[in-house]
Amino acid sequence: MDSGLEQDIGRIGRELAAAFPAALRNPVRSVDARAMELAASDQELKAALFRFVDVVPACRSLDDLARHLTGFLEEVDGPPMPVTAAMRLAGTRAGRAALGAAAAGGVRHMAHRFIVGTTLEDASGPLRRLWERGAACSVDLLGEATVTSPEADSYAQRCAQTLEQLTRITAGWPARPGLEADSIGPLPRANVSVKVSALTPLLRPDAPELGREDAARRLRPLLLAARELGAHVHIDMESFDSREAVVGVVLGLLSEPELRDGPSVGVVLQAYLRDSGETLEQILAFARDSSSPGGRGRIPPLQVRLVKGAYWDHELVQARQHGWSAPVYEDKPESDRNFEALTRRLLDSRPLVRVAVASHNLRSVAHAIAYNRATGGEDRDLEIQVLRGLGDELQDALAHLGLRVRTYCPIGNLVAGMAYLVRRLLENTSNDSFLVAQAGGVTLDRLLSAP
Amino acid sequence: MSAFANEPILELRRASVRSGLADALAQLDARLPLEVPLLIGADRVASGSRATLVSTDPGLPAREVARAPEATAADVDAAVRAAAQAARTWSREDAGLRAGILRSAAAWMREHRLELSALVLRECAKPWPEADADVCEAIDFLEYYAAGAVALAEPRPLAQVPGEHNELRYVARGVCAVIAPWNFPLAIACGMTAAALATGSAVVLKPAEQSPGCAGALARALAAGGLPPGALSLLPGAGEVGAALVRHPGVHTIAFTGSQAVGLEIIRAAAEVVPGQNHLKRVVAELGGKNCVIVAADADLDEAVPAIVSSAFAYAGQKCSAAARVLAHEAIAEALAERLAGATRVLVVGQAQELATQVPPLIEADAQDRLRSCGEQADREGHVLVAADDVPAVGWFAAPVVVADLPGGSSLLEREIFGPLLTVERVRDVEAACDIVDALPFALTGGLFARDPGTVRYVRGRTPVGNLYVNRGITGAVVARQPFGGNRLSGNGTKAGGPDYLLQFVEPRVVSENTMRHGLAI
Repeated sequence: MDSGLEQDIGRIGRELAAAFPAALRNPVRSVDARAMELAASDQELKAALFRFVDVVPACRSLDDLARHLTGFLEEVDGPPMPVTAAMRLAGTRAGRAALGAAAAGGVRHMAHRFIVGTTLEDASGPLRRLWERGAACSVDLLGEATVTSPEADSYAQRCAQTLEQLTRITAGWPARPGLEADSIGPLPRANVSVKVSALTPLLRPDAPELGREDAARRLRPLLLAARELGAHVHIDMESFDSREAVVGVVLGLLSEPELRDGPSVGVVLQAYLRDSGETLEQILAFARDSSSPGGRGRIPPLQVRLVKGAYWDHELVQARQHGWSAPVYEDKPESDRNFEALTRRLLDSRPLVRVAVASHNLRSVAHAIAYNRATGGEDRDLEIQVLRGLGDELQDALAHLGLRVRTYCPIGNLVAGMAYLVRRLLENTSNDSFLVAQAGGVTLDRLLSAP
Repeated sequence: MSAFANEPILELRRASVRSGLADALAQLDARLPLEVPLLIGADRVASGSRATLVSTDPGLPAREVARAPEATAADVDAAVRAAAQAARTWSREDAGLRAGILRSAAAWMREHRLELSALVLRECAKPWPEADADVCEAIDFLEYYAAGAVALAEPRPLAQVPGEHNELRYVARGVCAVIAPWNFPLAIACGMTAAALATGSAVVLKPAEQSPGCAGALARALAAGGLPPGALSLLPGAGEVGAALVRHPGVHTIAFTGSQAVGLEIIRAAAEVVPGQNHLKRVVAELGGKNCVIVAADADLDEAVPAIVSSAFAYAGQKCSAAARVLAHEAIAEALAERLAGATRVLVVGQAQELATQVPPLIEADAQDRLRSCGEQADREGHVLVAADDVPAVGWFAAPVVVADLPGGSSLLEREIFGPLLTVERVRDVEAACDIVDALPFALTGGLFARDPGTVRYVRGRTPVGNLYVNRGITGAVVARQPFGGNRLSGNGTKAGGPDYLLQFVEPRVVSENTMRHGLAI
């Protein structure tokens, strides 16, 4: 890579860092400072805390909650001081009630950082405030796993309602020209992220057609509704097991005549997958093939959200259990480098696709911004996405610098959100996490150096 | 020697891996029906006046898969004599040499992996993932027992004092009769056979009458690996062939996997010393189960539901490890039953070769009749949540049934059904669930979904089952990772694919030598 670009990346990264809110509220510090630091430093304790967070929604009383907490903590060798104190507390009924209440409160506090509201009504205030601060949103509906057809129907129905309500709610928001158009055209305010695994109980890795067809049956009406409403639907990506079905369902539906000219749709590309480059070429080939005669691709163009991927541990464990080679890069720098290569490929492919780069890694984000500018792109032609609760400071910094930012905002109750929460917490305490490195005092130069 | 590693199952989530399957099946289909030999020692016996045993595709009964001459009582006698003869030299071979032959047989299976999976699929209607797992397990057994037998050939450490030398060695028992089931037509036949061969016994294999083709493939693999002719005899046939084998005075060990009724009969018959028999027979019996899954109030139902459904209905429930009874804590029983029913309704019933299929046809017409009458009984006695409605007309199909509220004492709660029927019961708490499990005569597999470590400890401490699975499905034991076998009336406690299994096929001999000569300790 040329040194000019590296210099730009460093400069943009420092500008962003300088634009972080004054009192750095790093999520790792503030989520629950003590607990998270302890967890990040002790694998057993981390396991105990995750297992506890995971079971909270299934506990029926404070006593039950406290019993679970101490049950998990008992399995930690040589527990640190606060833990032994908690265990002593659990010796009496009153102590358990106090401990249970404290723990439930702690979990709820953490969950509220990541989950923007229980319902869209609850969330409408925070979403509007985000918009006013300069950040658009994508709403994600949390839910239990879909294992039956009625569950899939109900998720689809919630998505349809959300599309409609969000369109109505966002219509009343003030104008924010920087968030509402790029050089290709207008960008919908209402943006909903949808999970294929929630749209069908038939998603099976060895028979992707089955889930693809069943999900398409429920996704098609959602896309048609989005087209009528002028809303954007983003299809999330999950574990590698479902990737073929997810890519298949989206590209298949967008090939149907009635969906060729809308709505605005997005897909996700996971840079930690070794073959993500091939998937990108598949998506680009589709975009080319579905081009209008002018060769400008679909209008509105397919958006590609580039992420690193949130199922790294799952992919590795699954591959090891089966004796397969892992579909993901095992070293983080490899996946960071691939992220940058895919960023460049994506930005070079405009206007065939719209590009969203989703990362909390200052380096990855600065690289995207720098490359976009270096190749003559306007800032508004690059969307940066962050996660609610983890990327709040970056979001504010990006908005402050006039860059186009969108925040992924989960909505749902604690029970529904727990799997999401646990995944976020895992990221947050992983030794490879950028945020952990940032909180741990790694220098800015180091954070911004090429992976 | 490298450490044992399981044979990786096919990564069917990749389209490139899936794309080879249809071809493999077409190639097999073009060769059907396969001719399976009757092997007596080194001889391939001409069918002569013998009847022909024919296996058919359970999904298309008009399709013949394999044909074999049916063994007679005289064949049984000849095979046991030939095996006794062969065992004399085979047992004296170096354990490393025997292991090398088994490993070569494993290598042959790897080379013929898809061909073998296709055969398992056609002959027993196992869908691809299960058929592939069957072949992998067969390979695992060959490798694992090969390594285990080499280790077992080393003398054991004994207490030694000056002036004497003590040595304990394990030696082959002699002739092993292997009586194998059809539900893991390659894996289980191969496992029992490999254990006996690895430790130096000669084997007379009587495969299930439904799966002679897979047994023929096993014989081919072992021959290709270099097994001396004679160390394995193959006697295709029905139950009488097995019964004659069990009673034969020349048989030392009987390795059986199958139903409880047949297993108990074998144990009874083997206990009787017949004229010409100078030893006690040993029986390795892997029998049935009535496997319960306990779901505690704090279970993660998102994980429990798919795991239970696949444990109950994969391969149409025709696994001894399959889930049969769900014991649900009353706090979550209603939600669980509803989600189980919903997840069962979307199961795909279909032909084994379709990758979408989760519930293939049953093995034979009798099984279909049995399941039909179980379905009717469920209807009479309980609240049927998912009914076995229409299924394909051709093939021995039975659709999955989920039934709740059966009265205590219903035979549907007690006997092994060996098909796609799952019962759901509400229990007061985990302790009550354990009481139910404790009252059953079976103790093969069991499941527990719970997140409180205390609950896990409690159930682990109380369960009588041979294999307890916590927060996961209860089928799919993997060699070396989940040594498999049941207790109580589910079996005599042996663990296939475990570190102690080979001990069933050997007898210990101790030699103590006085090393003092005229006051001099050598």
